[in-house]
Amino acid sequence: MGKVYIQAAEQISIQTPLSEEWMEQPIVYHEPFVKAVNPAFREYIAPNEARRMGNIMKRAIVTSLKVLKETGINHPDAIITGTSIGSLNYTEKFLDDLVENGEESLSPTYFMQTTHNTVSSTISIFTATHSYNTTYSHGGISFELALKDAWMQLNLGQISNALVGGHDEMVESYYELLRKTGYVGVEGMVPCGECAMSMMLNKQVSPDNLCELAGVSIFRMKSVQNIRKQLEALVEKANIKVETIQMVMTGVNGNPENDRLYQPVLDELFPQAEHLQYKQLFGENYTVSALGLYAAAHLMKKQGMPVMLFVNCTTTGDCALILLKGI
Amino acid sequence: MILEPIYITGAGVVSAIGIGKAETLASLQDNRSGIRFIRYLKSTHTDLPVGEVQLSNDEMAERLGLGDSQSYTRTSLIGKLALKEALHDAHLDGQSLDEVHFISGTTVGGMERREQVHAQESNCGQEIAEIATYNCASCTEMIAEGLGDFASMATLSTACSSATNAIITGANMLRCGLADIVVVGGAECLSLFHLNGFNALMILDHEPCRPFDRDRAGLNLGEGAAYLVMETAASVQQRGLKPKFVLSGYANKCDAFHQTASSPEGEGAYLAMTAALETAGLRPEDIQYINAHGTGTPNNDESEGKAIIRLFGEHYPPVSSTKSFTGHTTSASGSIEAVFCLLALEHQFLPKNINWKTPMEQGILPVTGQVAHPRIQHVLSNAFGFGGNDSSLIFSKVNE
Repeated sequence: MGKVYIQAAEQISIQTPLSEEWMEQPIVYHEPFVKAVNPAFREYIAPNEARRMGNIMKRAIVTSLKVLKETGINHPDAIITGTSIGSLNYTEKFLDDLVENGEESLSPTYFMQTTHNTVSSTISIFTATHSYNTTYSHGGISFELALKDAWMQLNLGQISNALVGGHDEMVESYYELLRKTGYVGVEGMVPCGECAMSMMLNKQVSPDNLCELAGVSIFRMKSVQNIRKQLEALVEKANIKVETIQMVMTGVNGNPENDRLYQPVLDELFPQAEHLQYKQLFGENYTVSALGLYAAAHLMKKQGMPVMLFVNCTTTGDCALILLKGI
Repeated sequence: MILEPIYITGAGVVSAIGIGKAETLASLQDNRSGIRFIRYLKSTHTDLPVGEVQLSNDEMAERLGLGDSQSYTRTSLIGKLALKEALHDAHLDGQSLDEVHFISGTTVGGMERREQVHAQESNCGQEIAEIATYNCASCTEMIAEGLGDFASMATLSTACSSATNAIITGANMLRCGLADIVVVGGAECLSLFHLNGFNALMILDHEPCRPFDRDRAGLNLGEGAAYLVMETAASVQQRGLKPKFVLSGYANKCDAFHQTASSPEGEGAYLAMTAALETAGLRPEDIQYINAHGTGTPNNDESEGKAIIRLFGEHYPPVSSTKSFTGHTTSASGSIEAVFCLLALEHQFLPKNINWKTPMEQGILPVTGQVAHPRIQHVLSNAFGFGGNDSSLIFSKVNE
């Protein structure tokens, strides 16, 4: 089997891009909807190519290229992406066009990039990588499903490394719709943001690895008893005890509908553990947990933490538990 | 390394050629295509042939015993019909599905319902906002609702290979010991969004599609759903089942060429088929039938044909594209065609490539009539998606 490590991880978000400045100098926002801070794309993508790409694609390519450069891996054994709403901007444009101008004389330009797998396949085209390539699109656990896929294949010995990402963009009109559903824009909650995160998973032992990915479990929450059962199975496979988990990172975001989901985990399963939150830094969006795991991995490394449990509960009833160990 | 077998213990299918396996088998064996002019989708392209499921939403809701079809997407109604049949076939209906995992593929998800409300969105209330923000996960959840309290749910979205990749994820979960039983496949209905997208790309044939024909002029879009129930040997034994099929090989590779076109040599297709054979421990000559992706576009059929000939040589096994019956059912095509492969294995027949007349230059000669064939033991099924997401599956008969 061997162990699986998070070797490197990079982000573009509402914090300073491609850096860990958020640790020392976090940017604080008071607006309900914030676009990501883009890096200088031209340093990574030729302007004529960048012009044809939406923001989600450019960000995914940049975070991926940075991770590939850091790890010296040119062609990963797998490229796996989680995205809930994919190329949202182009999807909205094509749909507007269709509704406003009818079914005649539509241009295919936007449509070509609307499928959710555009992100993963663009990375493969950009890096000429023919290996396993897939995309999960399942709301708030899209990223965790991508991570679990990589983790399974690493454990099965089908691959020895994997580039895993979580990417979602946002546009004003869609934000307005989501606000009306109560998903974002609720009084007292973190802003709605955008996320691009790429990380390399690798089986190779190295002091430069950020942390060990000791297990991933995804399930329908159903009850606190079920969460406990899944947690126990997860830690048992990783050869540790629940009591040794002193650090829990959650997706608490100030929205009561969201935060109540974490109460049973925090109150009943981990009354003693220290509680870390990442959405105050990175905001809310479907794949923001990718930024959470990125933050967790960098914090594990920087602060020499032994064990952390990363918990993502969604209002649609899914739960993902990710177990991290220090190296 | 000896890999644990992955048994297939149930299947359900819905497409333009039938609701359920029995109707589907009859259509395939009688060469009855489901391609017709648009009837259910409210499109102005009434001259385009498509492969629609021949039931209205109300008729599907009635079959499913659901009161009102209004609150369901067409994709979810089609998906429910297929899922229900698969669960029944695997003796799982009425059982607790607390330990069963559901993995589905879709791309346009709830777009067909959103199209109807999009004009009102700028000033809408919560109800319309919820319909408008319905995503791929909502689609999977809506299919499962009322049919099973699954242990977990997941949605793959790799365009036209979504269902095939859902099957692959399920297979890895079984091999990893993370599940004993998985229900895998995909569902997609026609939407104005992708019908017009494909139309704008100018890859829709205005006649019934002709895969692998010299004069092929594009694809016909279709809709449908199919699910397979797959389980481990231990689970099969514990439930006292005698499965007839195994998923013996599977692979996912990337063409890494272009967002909406295949490489001229079909590199991704070649790599996927080669790797699927490797995982199955089979040689090219062990395959008795290939269910091709065969969309009918000039680009796909040339590229896929080259990849098949490169791997299997001039004496390649019988090949057909059943998209000539169903149209291209996009995200659902991988699992729909997987069920066709199981029917071919069970009933020992080769589905034909109807509408074919003229050979392509150096192309595949598909199965068009009655041909003598050996016992069908192993079949290969291809599904390729936008972005070069190419996947292949191999299904085999369990010898009694």
